[in-house]
Amino acid sequence: MSNNKQEQTPQNPPAAPGEEVRKGTTVETIQQLGQTVAPSGESNIFCMTIIGQVEGHMVLPPQNKTTKYEHLIPQLVAAEQNAKIEGVLIILNTVGGDVEAGLAIAEMIATLSKPTVTLVLGGGHSIGVPIAVSANHSIIAETATMTIHPIRLNGLVIGVPQTFEYLDKMQERVIRFVTRHSRVDEGKFKELMFKTGELTRDIGTTVIGADAVKYGLIDQIGGVGDAIRKLSGLIEERRKVSTGGMVQ
Amino acid sequence: MSHYTILPIEAVMEGIESEIQAPVEIVMNGVMMQVQPLNGQQATIVRLLSGNPQDYLNPQFSPGRLIEFQPVPAAE
Repeated sequence: MSNNKQEQTPQNPPAAPGEEVRKGTTVETIQQLGQTVAPSGESNIFCMTIIGQVEGHMVLPPQNKTTKYEHLIPQLVAAEQNAKIEGVLIILNTVGGDVEAGLAIAEMIATLSKPTVTLVLGGGHSIGVPIAVSANHSIIAETATMTIHPIRLNGLVIGVPQTFEYLDKMQERVIRFVTRHSRVDEGKFKELMFKTGELTRDIGTTVIGADAVKYGLIDQIGGVGDAIRKLSGLIEERRKVSTGGMVQ
Repeated sequence: MSHYTILPIEAVMEGIESEIQAPVEIVMNGVMMQVQPLNGQQATIVRLLSGNPQDYLNPQFSPGRLIEFQPVPAAE
């Protein structure tokens, strides 16, 4: 009985005039541009993405998708200095790049005083490995991979022993950084780096999500939600410490 | 310079010899930057030349972003 009555009355009250206009513009935006209006709001997290090749001393040809280190470094300085930013989330999908640029970014992330979390999505290969381990906490997606291999040299080599020595020292810098900022020990990392039979063009290992955690390179498997939850937790801890509270 | 990447170096360096116009320096919204002209009216941002770290957090100034030049009468 009462149901019939309800059916006869209109279900939705008339919208306020302003609301109608807003709904109209959203629908128009979706229809005409195929996009929705992103919710605007201040975030206390700075999200930094490292995509494609890490570009260093050399400008790479335009078909490369690159991340310029000279842009990331001041961004990290700004994140450290800006009072509104309480934590930094670094999202990686990189194939590697310039050794010194990559190490510079990794050192910058490692020395930030604010909480940092890295998330490896897709790939964190070669010089992406030290960047991935540089944060307070590192997360890898289940399907993401990291390729650990020796540093190669291309082109004409003049003075083989000296060149080898130089490359070995450069490789040592990478190994030392990774072992200092993750739970993997030097022996294991070198074993992964010089493994034969896994890669077609090279020696080394491709480490997939769970294996990266098993070897101690990365702290946990997860995604965006886990990364933000962890970063929020680290921010909360830091707040408690700065206000003189006890950390439980 | 050492490149540490999983990509073959030939793939990374493909097109390195192609002629590209030299980037030019401009000032936009008070920030000095290098831009790569595409045509008479458009350019892409190459890098910022700013000493203010906060400029680097502005998504409007991200490298690769397209900018447009507007014609204005020349100063007499």
